[in-house]
Amino acid sequence: MLIELTHIQRLYRSDEVETTALCDIELSVEAGEFVAIMGPSGCGKSTLLNILGTIDRPTSGSYRFGDDELTALNEASLAAFRRDHLGYIFQNFNLIDDLTIERNIELALVYRNMPKSLRQERVASAMDHVGIAHRARHYPSQLSGGQQQRAAIARAIAGEPRLILADEPTGNLDTENGAQVMDILQHLNDEGATIVMVTHSPSHADLAKRRVDMLDGRIVLSAGIAI
Amino acid sequence: MFQAIFDGALREARRHPLHTALNILGLAVGVCVFLTLGLLVRYEYSYNASVPDADRIVRLDSHWSLAGTASYESAFTSFRAVPFLRDDFPEIENAVRIIPATLQVRREGQFTSFTSYQVDPTFFQVFGLRLIRGLPTNALSRPEGLVLSEGAAQRLFGKTDVIGHNIELVRDGQKTSHIVTGVLAQPAEPGVLSDAEILVPIPTEDINTRSCFQRWGSACGRIYLKLHNVTDISTIGAQLRDFVIHRASGADSDETSLGTHPEQEFSLSLVPLLQQHFYDITVRGGEEAADRNVVNSIGITGFLALMLACANAVNLATARAMLRAREVAVCKTLGASRRRLFIQFMGEALLTVATACLAGLALCEVLTPVVASLSGQAVTVRYGFVLLLWPLIVIGSGLASGIYPAVVLSRYRPAAILAATRMPSGGRMDARLRNALVVVQFAIAVTIVICTFVIDRQTAFIRNADRGYTMSGLLVGSAIPAKDLAIQHKMLDALQAVPGVKALTFGELGPNPPNQNKSTYKLVNSAEKVRVHLLFDRAGSEYFETYNPRLLAGRWFDPKYGQDEGPDNEALQKGTGNFNVVVNETAALRFGFTTPDAAVDKVISDQGLRATIIGVISDFRFVSPHEPVEPEIIYYNSLTRTPFDEPIPAVRFDNASSSEMVIHLNRAWASVLPDTPANFQSVDDRTLEFYQGDERRGRIFTLGAIAALLIACLGLYSLASFTAVRRTHEIGIRKTLGASARQIILLLLGDFLRPVLLACVIASPIAWFAMRSWLSGFDQRIVLGPIHFLTAISGALFIAAMTVLGQTLRVARSEPARALRAE
Repeated sequence: MLIELTHIQRLYRSDEVETTALCDIELSVEAGEFVAIMGPSGCGKSTLLNILGTIDRPTSGSYRFGDDELTALNEASLAAFRRDHLGYIFQNFNLIDDLTIERNIELALVYRNMPKSLRQERVASAMDHVGIAHRARHYPSQLSGGQQQRAAIARAIAGEPRLILADEPTGNLDTENGAQVMDILQHLNDEGATIVMVTHSPSHADLAKRRVDMLDGRIVLSAGIAI
Repeated sequence: MFQAIFDGALREARRHPLHTALNILGLAVGVCVFLTLGLLVRYEYSYNASVPDADRIVRLDSHWSLAGTASYESAFTSFRAVPFLRDDFPEIENAVRIIPATLQVRREGQFTSFTSYQVDPTFFQVFGLRLIRGLPTNALSRPEGLVLSEGAAQRLFGKTDVIGHNIELVRDGQKTSHIVTGVLAQPAEPGVLSDAEILVPIPTEDINTRSCFQRWGSACGRIYLKLHNVTDISTIGAQLRDFVIHRASGADSDETSLGTHPEQEFSLSLVPLLQQHFYDITVRGGEEAADRNVVNSIGITGFLALMLACANAVNLATARAMLRAREVAVCKTLGASRRRLFIQFMGEALLTVATACLAGLALCEVLTPVVASLSGQAVTVRYGFVLLLWPLIVIGSGLASGIYPAVVLSRYRPAAILAATRMPSGGRMDARLRNALVVVQFAIAVTIVICTFVIDRQTAFIRNADRGYTMSGLLVGSAIPAKDLAIQHKMLDALQAVPGVKALTFGELGPNPPNQNKSTYKLVNSAEKVRVHLLFDRAGSEYFETYNPRLLAGRWFDPKYGQDEGPDNEALQKGTGNFNVVVNETAALRFGFTTPDAAVDKVISDQGLRATIIGVISDFRFVSPHEPVEPEIIYYNSLTRTPFDEPIPAVRFDNASSSEMVIHLNRAWASVLPDTPANFQSVDDRTLEFYQGDERRGRIFTLGAIAALLIACLGLYSLASFTAVRRTHEIGIRKTLGASARQIILLLLGDFLRPVLLACVIASPIAWFAMRSWLSGFDQRIVLGPIHFLTAISGALFIAAMTVLGQTLRVARSEPARALRAE
């Protein structure tokens, strides 16, 4: 098992209000799976993805990744985990405006202290993979939304991660560009990448191997089996 | 419209109180420093401007080009010139001779020193200074008349209505009675003799007996001329060479003249009163002077501080403009025109700057007394001057800080802004502009910091530099006015009896000597006719033990060698005899000896006076560090046959504190000369005036450097806090990609400090050139090495790093998920 979430709970507390974003989440993902998480706005999809991506911490519960219990790790170890094992794709691309596409893709590899020659090789390969190589020297603002998202995918796969997390990757794209992005994700999954994707689109969710439906912070459907 | 501008500025201040406060504080500090230093510069430039007819008053300066010494200009000119000037130049309306003197008033057994001048009765006809009591026409017409300054009258009598009061003055041990005939008004602006506390007529006896009234080669004071017209300055100036040839020449045997060709070594020039304050920096015996370059540098520092503050305002306003993009979009959607938005943002900028300028003015009121104290100048806030500058600063700074953001903001297209999920970043151009401004700011600040550090090091260096003798444990007294062998012996015995005295000597020169005598000597038996103008000194017994000079070659005087005893006054007058002398290192070099050893046993002569060099000692620095040490010849005087000419007693002591020794030595002195103050002082106190000016200016630069660094750091902090907010999202992305907190800290610190580092690279050569030029004005100076630059730069970088560290840590520690939701 690549991912195993047990009794995950995420509460947000303010002075007067306590909001439950995730409640008693149980989720397992096998290596090589393509899981789509669906649900209405505010149901906790992105919070779950953030916890899977270790950029948010659960209030309680267990998160095992392979043999490692991630909830016990400190910030530095979690940063190292993200660096070595995760690739992230966002709805709004989250490319850094001041860096060229090439430098944006290279960023994740820089943090791994990878030699420059190897970094360049990996960046070139990733850009080829998503068909963005001709835009290497451009800045994000000079690219269309579809091209920016392909660049974001290239950045996510350049480090050859064990898990790719995609948070509504087609949310800001038109139909054609959305379809292209889904093709790329499917292709990556076919090559063995494990993908967890949050989406609003049922048609895109159908392209995944498994579908997880959420409502009010709980998983209500997993792999078509009602809980 | 005004209401809208006011409301907008207030809303911005409420929304971003930190940024607003930092912006206003930075500008206020900049305005305050600019105004305060501006007041100081104005003060320096206003010297003599309030003296009536200042443009028609000139000083007659002497220029000497003597053998073996560098040419120099002296504000002291022989008074022998005055009657000839009156005869030869009808353009002269009036002339006055002024002799600086320190006179003591003795009251209830205590001496009080006053800065005094002996002047001709024509003083008030030349300088139309105002009297609050008495009449200028007769205040100095009686020999016993005396004019007090307002401050001196208050000090002595506690009031200014003191006409007719008696005062007993002591000068050179002689008591004279005077009657107060006038009280000088406190001058509104600084100027010539504004330090004068007492004015008295020159005693008739002095006019008849002192050599400076009789001989062209002797000078003891300054000559001021009031001309009929301003154009007469050039008319007279053109004729002064002929005047010297005609009036100063005479037979070689004529002691009152300068020989057959006086123009070869002597000339005269006129220095306009209005130029004197800056001109006198290179003139010996001039009035209180300031280096124009230093004064201008202080003004530039103030201006740069204001520029720094404006750059801050521009930077922050540009950075914050983007935060108001959505407001602009909504306003435009509701029908606001671009022109109206431009006026709105310009108005807000002007309002903010006006508020800051008001705060700056208030700070200026607080800082001006501090600057006055640091600089030693009576600077006060002059509202006529300040209120002239204030609106210019408001408009200039307001336009500078408001125009670019107003243009950018009013240009935003509402559809694009409202559709975007993120604020417009302003683009790379804006980022480059902000970074460029930070570079400019820190380049200015770092230049000032480096210069201040070098000034501080140089000031410390000249204070502590080797002066050729041991300063610690040494006390030096006033010149003994008596030229009487018995009294000098008595004084020697009285001082010797003071417990703690280890060595005691007399010399005719000492640290900051009141008088200097020079003679020209030539090298005997030399193919080259080397002539050197030598400073003359006579050293008593234990001179070597008291001053501890370094003997570079030969030996010091020894009473067992008969020829070591120097000439008596008669031999000196006649210029005959053979004697042994010691010279300083500079003298040996000027005579052409490549090493001190080479000078030993060589003979030099002044007419019939033959002097064999028996030793060479290290140079003594008795004069200002700005002046070169002059070649010097020292004769020995064992005080057996001839008295010294106004000897300066020096005492080396141990096993006692300096203050105790001063009390005991002054008491011993009083037992011999009760009517003359002894005034034993340490060398530091005695030479204070040589170092005070540089130290005071150093303090002003330090103030400027602190202000510049403070403003630059305020700007950097504001920018860092803004950038931290702007980059929170980016940092979220980086952390999501696996960046550790350490990597983020290094990234941000690097980004913040890169422009600062670039600024240091730009600042270094500028500071190097400026400081090399400044240091060239010192005879003794530090070597301008990399350590000065590295230390100042490290300090600036450290302060800059500390400034941004808080913001950096805050952003670096932010949770990635929260950071990604930012904006």
